[in-house]
Amino acid sequence: MELLANLQLGFDVALTLQNVLYCFLGVLLGTLIGVLPGIGPVATIAMLLPATFALPPVSALIMLAGIYYGAQYGGSTTAILVNLPGEASSVVTCLDGYAMAQQGRAGPALAVAALGSFFAGTVATLILVLFAPPLAEVAFKFGPAEYFSLMVLGLIAAIVLARGSLIKAIAMILLGLLLGLIGADTNTGQFRFTFGLPQLADGIGFVVVAMGMFGFSEIIANIERRARREVVMAKITSLFPTREDLKASWKAVLRGTGIGALLGILPGGGATLGSFAAYTLEKKVAKDPSRFGKGAIEGVAGPESANNAGAQTSFIPLLTLGIPANAVMALMVGAMTIHGITPGPQVMTERPELFWGMIASMWIGNLLLVVLNLPLIGIWVKLLSVPYRILYPAILLFACIGVYSLNNSAIDVALALAFGFLGYLFIKLDCEPAPLLLGFVLGPMMEENLRRALLLSRGDPTVFVTRPLSLTLLVVAAALLIIVVVPAVRKKREEAFQE
Amino acid sequence: MSISIRSPRDFCAGLIFLFFGTLAAYIARDYPMGSAVRMGPGYFPYVLGILLALLGVVVCIKSLLMHGERIESASLRALSLVLGAVGAFAGTIEGFGIVIATALLVGIGAAASPESRPREVAVLIAFLLALAVGVFTYGLGLPFRIFPV
Amino acid sequence: MAEFFRSHPCPSRRSWLRAVPYVFGAFVAGAALPQDYPSRPIRIIVPFPAGGTADLLARQIGQTMSEALRQQVVIENRTGAGGNIGADLAAKSKPDGYTLLMGTVSTHAINPNLYPRIPYDPVKDFAPVTMVAKMPNLLVVHPSVPAKNVAELIALAKARPGALAFASAGNGTSQHLSGELFKKMAGVDMIHVPYKGNAPAVTDLVGGQVQVMFDNIPVSLQQVRAGKLRPLAVTGPLRSPVLPGLPTLAEAALPGYSITSWFGLYVPSGTSPQIIERLNREANKALANAQFRRRLSDQGIEPAGGTPGQFADFMRAELVKWGKIVRESGARVE
Repeated sequence: MELLANLQLGFDVALTLQNVLYCFLGVLLGTLIGVLPGIGPVATIAMLLPATFALPPVSALIMLAGIYYGAQYGGSTTAILVNLPGEASSVVTCLDGYAMAQQGRAGPALAVAALGSFFAGTVATLILVLFAPPLAEVAFKFGPAEYFSLMVLGLIAAIVLARGSLIKAIAMILLGLLLGLIGADTNTGQFRFTFGLPQLADGIGFVVVAMGMFGFSEIIANIERRARREVVMAKITSLFPTREDLKASWKAVLRGTGIGALLGILPGGGATLGSFAAYTLEKKVAKDPSRFGKGAIEGVAGPESANNAGAQTSFIPLLTLGIPANAVMALMVGAMTIHGITPGPQVMTERPELFWGMIASMWIGNLLLVVLNLPLIGIWVKLLSVPYRILYPAILLFACIGVYSLNNSAIDVALALAFGFLGYLFIKLDCEPAPLLLGFVLGPMMEENLRRALLLSRGDPTVFVTRPLSLTLLVVAAALLIIVVVPAVRKKREEAFQE
Repeated sequence: MSISIRSPRDFCAGLIFLFFGTLAAYIARDYPMGSAVRMGPGYFPYVLGILLALLGVVVCIKSLLMHGERIESASLRALSLVLGAVGAFAGTIEGFGIVIATALLVGIGAAASPESRPREVAVLIAFLLALAVGVFTYGLGLPFRIFPV
Repeated sequence: MAEFFRSHPCPSRRSWLRAVPYVFGAFVAGAALPQDYPSRPIRIIVPFPAGGTADLLARQIGQTMSEALRQQVVIENRTGAGGNIGADLAAKSKPDGYTLLMGTVSTHAINPNLYPRIPYDPVKDFAPVTMVAKMPNLLVVHPSVPAKNVAELIALAKARPGALAFASAGNGTSQHLSGELFKKMAGVDMIHVPYKGNAPAVTDLVGGQVQVMFDNIPVSLQQVRAGKLRPLAVTGPLRSPVLPGLPTLAEAALPGYSITSWFGLYVPSGTSPQIIERLNREANKALANAQFRRRLSDQGIEPAGGTPGQFADFMRAELVKWGKIVRESGARVE
């Protein structure tokens, strides 16, 4: 059994005291920066890069990888506790996680997120071991046409995110799409909606929009509600999930893991879609979708599992092809070259100890994360009992530092302020920010790939239906659209009759 | 049947959509349009802007027909002080350093809540200053200026 | 002076002599006191995202310089507008030796010729410190393309105008302009397909969605070694040591074709010459490190170095050269 021999090699490398220690250091640091809103893994890994010069390459990469998936873990903590999504993938965790926290159920939400993530991490590591090379080929099957169709599917899924009015949700998606187009157009270099500001040339950062729309606006609304004595501090019921919670979540964890692992393989923003897709799926299969957004535990379990599974499988293009799927992976490529390793298809055969050692370390890292995070839940929940008048200025500060340190740009903080105002307005007007954010993420990718696909097909729009993979995605999108729209229309009609 | 706004929330939301949609389409007109199969940089935003504006109109019309909730009154104190605090941070972080930016942010921000107590705020500022300088500037090595030079 | 003694507990005659110009310089320069330099952390502004070649070069050199200067060297990524944002920030920083810029062929040769409005002057606003590295682009094709060499590629493109597509890391990048110059000189038509950065472009090239790319050599080299892409030529004036069997474009079919990407350290103009000299010396020492040099050359990057004067001459020639390339290729941004 070659596989077992490979795994053995991997664990031999990963289980040396030194490597376990660096793995622990990585996930600990990752958890820390994940919890601090806005300070992302990119900045941290970049800063630590020179510090790893002295380490053996395997240890260095194990630690840096640990920071990445540790940050994914930590990010959900802030999303659940204080409604601050530090990354695109945490947005949907905010929806039900924060609602649970407000009901005094932050403990179970955090625990389910941690356990689900551990399960997802384990499965995804196994997938990496078994299928990494063939799965890597999937990335090449995805051309511009396929990405466009995937984005269409994602947008329709965004409608499902909505709780209230369908029309308003679609309008929010469109607004998000437009905001995403700000900056230089990839295809022509034309500046759009930049109002002469060079800082807008590369568009607005996701964290800037998310911090404003979720973080700042929620703080303002919260202060207001407290002033009116509308908030009754819910009693913390229990720290750990009840039997019912676990029963409700395990299927969500399974589904989330599957979706997240699959989408994580795609280098062009697939991992971002994972948690959104998982949330949509949970809401669609639920017997009572109206619970979602009001503290449904499946709404935390599914996306969190998807998020972590995707974080692991997004290493596939890097490890097997040397092609980075996102900014963190690009840094990992840099780390490898600094250590004299040429990332690429040969790494697996030329440096098996590195390849298998890193994969094995991911499972160990996930285990360490659970061991680290479960006891922390008690502390996090205690944090919520700090009076809000003391808590919110601290949240405000962390959010500002996070936004600023993205690009060391004060303009970003000012932009987040503007989005805070807009977000507050939308709270007052019953417009949900989640579809807007998804539109914001998908918009530029959608337009870019649409135009690129048409450029490559020399203007022939049939590419989207003649390529089988693209066609399949569009058919699924159409089916989803029917599932979403028909019940809504029927409901409207019933309401109209009643009036 | 007189025309009246039955759902103020939807009416205002519709106006916002109409505003942004029209604005986007108006600005996008200046960019090269291209054609549906050879899209220029203006095509996509123009179409999106028109769609958004249309949806805005639909939402507005709906708000005249269907009843909805009133818009809750806004607390200008919370709104202006929280956003003012963020603005103060943005305005001072580069020129005056992290210490002044943090103190201003926490000081102004804390005043947004009617529950805040001056003595607590002073302690909070001291604590968060230590954190901002100790953890973020030294610990994480973020490139902040600490004091105005 | 205290700083100087602390770093050299037992000053020999030679290091005393070395201190003389600093002391003298202090009187001339007035406010800037080079003998104390550096007394606080130095920042290197990198106008491109973390993980790219410019960023990695800055981090590695920064690390070595930090040890030699006994001061922290902080890397600040200020991305945007093809590198113009970071370059502009450096141009408008205090010329006190505490702000450096990792400039590139984009910020100091291409963009000034390409962008209609640019907020800084690449010559007047900066004082060159040293050239850091250069690298050619690599002309690669997907293995399904029947052309086995440059002449065949040109013939193929002539036979079917517009049928081939070439990928780039974005409008106005050296990959884009390499392709445009190729089109012009060979008299062929290919469609330009821009991406956001190298990685997605290479993915689509390996996947066969596009056929041709003039890629930065470190990125495609691995794919070439794994047999996923076929190299046809390098764009530089000389062959690359990592692929010695591969001709230059000039040798193969297009005499006079020469495109090289390069990286160099700058300080804002007005920085005291003593500080520039010190920075130049430390940067050159960092670049002389054998292990560092080998790591770079393994990826097809050629470590450079040299005096500020050499770098200034080189840059002036590049500005003229890229002006011609941009004009001839007809490439435009905004």
